[in-house]
Amino acid sequence: MKRTFVAVVAALMITTPLSACSGNAANGGQPNINGGSEPVKLTIWHDKEDAVVAALQAELDKLKPDIIVTLEKKNGLTEALKMVGNDPKAAPDMYFFAHDKLGVYAEMGILTPITEFVSAETLGGFLPMTTQAAMYKGEIYQLPIYFETLLFMYNRALMPDSSVPTTTEGLLAFMKDVTGGGQYGFVEQHSTAYYSAGWIHGFGGEIISNDGVPQLNGDKTVAALEYHLKFARLMTGESEYATVNTLFKEGKAAATIGGPWLVPTAREAGIDLGLAKMPVINETGLPIAPYSGVQGLHVLKVSAGNPEKNTAIKKVLNQLCNTDIGAAMASASGCAPAFTACYELESVKTDDMVMMMSEVAENAVPMPNIPEMDVMWNVASNMLVDINMRKADVRASADKAQKQAEDLIKSMK
Amino acid sequence: MKNGKRKYHNTLRSWLCLSPSLVIIGLIVVFPIVYTAYISLTNMNVYHWFNFEIIGLDNYAKALTVFDGGFLQALALTVLWTAVNMVFQLVIAFFMASLLNIQKLRFRRVYKTVLMFPWAMPGYVSILLWKNGMFNSQFGLLNQWLGKIGLDPVRWLANDAVAFAACLVVNLWLALPFMIMIMDGAMQSVDRAYYESALLDGAGWFRRSVSLTIPAIRPIIAPAVVITLFTTFKQFDVIYLLTQQVGAKTGANIHTVLTYAYENAFVTSNYGYSSAISMCIFILLIAFTLIYNAKGGKRRVEND
Amino acid sequence: MWKTIERIGLILLNALFIVICFAVLVPILYAFSVSLNASNSILGSDFSFIPKQFTLANYRAVIMDHPVLLWFGNTLILAVSSVVISLFAAIPAAYSLSRFHFKGRIKILNAMTLLYSFPAILSMFAIYKLLSPMGLINTKLGLVVVYIGTMAVFGALNLKGYFDSVPAEIEEAANIDGANAWQTVAQILLPLAKPAVIVTGVMVLIYVWNEYIYAITFMTGSSNYTLAAGLYSLQATEMSGSWPVFAAASIIVSVPVLVIFFLTQKHMTSGLTAGGVKG
Repeated sequence: MKRTFVAVVAALMITTPLSACSGNAANGGQPNINGGSEPVKLTIWHDKEDAVVAALQAELDKLKPDIIVTLEKKNGLTEALKMVGNDPKAAPDMYFFAHDKLGVYAEMGILTPITEFVSAETLGGFLPMTTQAAMYKGEIYQLPIYFETLLFMYNRALMPDSSVPTTTEGLLAFMKDVTGGGQYGFVEQHSTAYYSAGWIHGFGGEIISNDGVPQLNGDKTVAALEYHLKFARLMTGESEYATVNTLFKEGKAAATIGGPWLVPTAREAGIDLGLAKMPVINETGLPIAPYSGVQGLHVLKVSAGNPEKNTAIKKVLNQLCNTDIGAAMASASGCAPAFTACYELESVKTDDMVMMMSEVAENAVPMPNIPEMDVMWNVASNMLVDINMRKADVRASADKAQKQAEDLIKSMK
Repeated sequence: MKNGKRKYHNTLRSWLCLSPSLVIIGLIVVFPIVYTAYISLTNMNVYHWFNFEIIGLDNYAKALTVFDGGFLQALALTVLWTAVNMVFQLVIAFFMASLLNIQKLRFRRVYKTVLMFPWAMPGYVSILLWKNGMFNSQFGLLNQWLGKIGLDPVRWLANDAVAFAACLVVNLWLALPFMIMIMDGAMQSVDRAYYESALLDGAGWFRRSVSLTIPAIRPIIAPAVVITLFTTFKQFDVIYLLTQQVGAKTGANIHTVLTYAYENAFVTSNYGYSSAISMCIFILLIAFTLIYNAKGGKRRVEND
Repeated sequence: MWKTIERIGLILLNALFIVICFAVLVPILYAFSVSLNASNSILGSDFSFIPKQFTLANYRAVIMDHPVLLWFGNTLILAVSSVVISLFAAIPAAYSLSRFHFKGRIKILNAMTLLYSFPAILSMFAIYKLLSPMGLINTKLGLVVVYIGTMAVFGALNLKGYFDSVPAEIEEAANIDGANAWQTVAQILLPLAKPAVIVTGVMVLIYVWNEYIYAITFMTGSSNYTLAAGLYSLQATEMSGSWPVFAAASIIVSVPVLVIFFLTQKHMTSGLTAGGVKG
């Protein structure tokens, strides 16, 4: 009883200033632009987890009653957008997704650059990496909210803090030591492009250049593939997430490279989870540099052309250009905020996952957002399967994949 | 008119009766084909998504480049896939239906309901269950059972031949309920006496099956068999989700015409080009069917 | 002596069926067991069909955390209307194809079958182009149109096969008694063909029940989902989702189909019988 009372009081103390503050933001002196007329309704499509959506919804609800924003979960969002993108009856006003598809939609002509709504000065408040990722052909098409990268995670019971390898050779030695009898030193989704990209970048290679030329058989990429094969041989034969994650969660793998989404489930499974910097590749002195994905809002052209909605969209986007949403998402789901000032907040600074992600992100490579990248995921994965699982010659597989990628890009046009 | 059906000549009424079905088939089945044919003549792709124009047969010329050695291999595998699936489906369904029709089998309805279970779930759910629950080399049931009898784990979906067999098993599991039901129903229409002692009179049963039962049920099951044949040829989910899904590839390299076309054309988001390839596959299938029909047609004439 | 052999034979036959049924059920039992298990993993290195920590929490999670009843309602509306409209379109079509030997009949039959060979992987876009101007995107009516269109060919062909087996003499007798064509169909043919009608209906129903591609593409917002689309959105992916919850949802989705199947099973088996009435 006493404890309940304390909890209630504590909750009141926390929420009172918050609600006072938000009340201020909603009605605080600003004249109602619609002069009390009908509220503007905006729809945002997303495919995110509930905690992230709730945080975003709470922030955007502050714009009520002038603007009512509905967040709608849309399965198969990327395909649906291709279909409805310029149909005012069916298209959403905005969508919330990673930055890597924006090149396709910009090329199709369904997106409006967000610089139409948010000033350059305001955009300067975001981490340069995030606005850079949203840039396609000189225009910024996404208002960044948060970003994610892969993280090096380890199980303290199997890999004490003192023996966490700082170099890939150290990791390899550890793997050789430990792997066997159903136990693994380190596992990752070795034959998927997203996970292997970190190794390729660490060798200075890349999957595709910024101007859309595949780089699968470049010398650096091939060197990375050859080196990575040594590690893949000591991992499980399966390369999909369920096996890899389960091995780690069941304590059968000492370490893994995985996304932030693995952290809560691993902790739930009772793993004493440690996060570490990516190991440095001995040969190049560079750390494994995974892809980073920036999640944010994109505005569809059909809505930007509607003056009433245009004004409302401007308000929505500017509402998200401060530390509130970043802090809320960091605490809700461990997302690393895109807004620079968030990193001065105590709540963000003390979140080890968020801080580790922002540290890894310094070396991370934003996923290419050019349309050509669309065909690379599958080609690169097939190449990795050939090398890691089918024991094909590395150089020959890379040449074959390069040729296929070039053909596919040609047939996009 | 050997069965003495009265011949109606009211053509108007026939078409009137058919019209609701024809209209809806026209909208949902024919229109997409026509639309795909139209798009195949345009340059609709990422760079001309809404402002595409007709460019003639360029996409077809480009499609010929996809029909390379890899495509021919995929075509051969698709034919094999379809043939093996159909043979297994027809034979197993025939045996199961025969056994289910043994008169003294008391729990027939229970068995039938259980056998229909795979049909009661969306296909992708079943495929995920098979992939993760059965075939997974680390945790799958099959390997756990192998482990219990002291055998080494097998990577079921990594080796081409084994993966093909695994896909076959899953496809049979998904498709057999329908076929068993069709066969079972058809068999009940032929004279019961044929089945009375099926279990005990092995040789006689076999001869009767070939000479009486199969000819009797053939016209009844024909539409279902033809439809299943096309569905099997076009089967994409089983092979793609089990072995080829991006991010969850298993190492097997088995491609049917459709998974091949998917990886080599559909991923490009070039809708004109992909449509041209769809049309080519369609024409190919029609050609197969017409050749088959030309042969089968002769027999039908004899039967009449 | 003969009796004993027969009895042994029947026991063996039943044993065979039990083995087959178990083999068929293995993946489903697996899902069932996972759904009753407390730990969040479909994969476990030491799996047993009897859950180690029994729990109904996953079922509760499906029912409490998601608008399953709403999805069920949506599915039911779609399924019932698809079944009814499909039958209203298929019965006259099948009757016409079976009874009226008009010109072009064979051509229509052949064309209908051939249409099945089109690889419909790209049809989605065309159907969108068709439905969007009519304002049918994100509406139940739009989905119903797609569903009845997809099942129309099968419905007509399946019913035609059965109508063929009902001897025309029975109808002619009714005609002589003064019944018109509609009365003949409604009062003579349909009661005889009732099982086939039910079978066709159940097939449409199962299709609608399990269809998710159109449902997730054309419908937006979780409250508009069907059961299969909702299940798809619960799918355990790399980023989110829980296997046991997904498994529980799969079981929940399939149970109504099984109940319907069991109830109509008697009709289904004889419904696909073409020669049920001897000519």
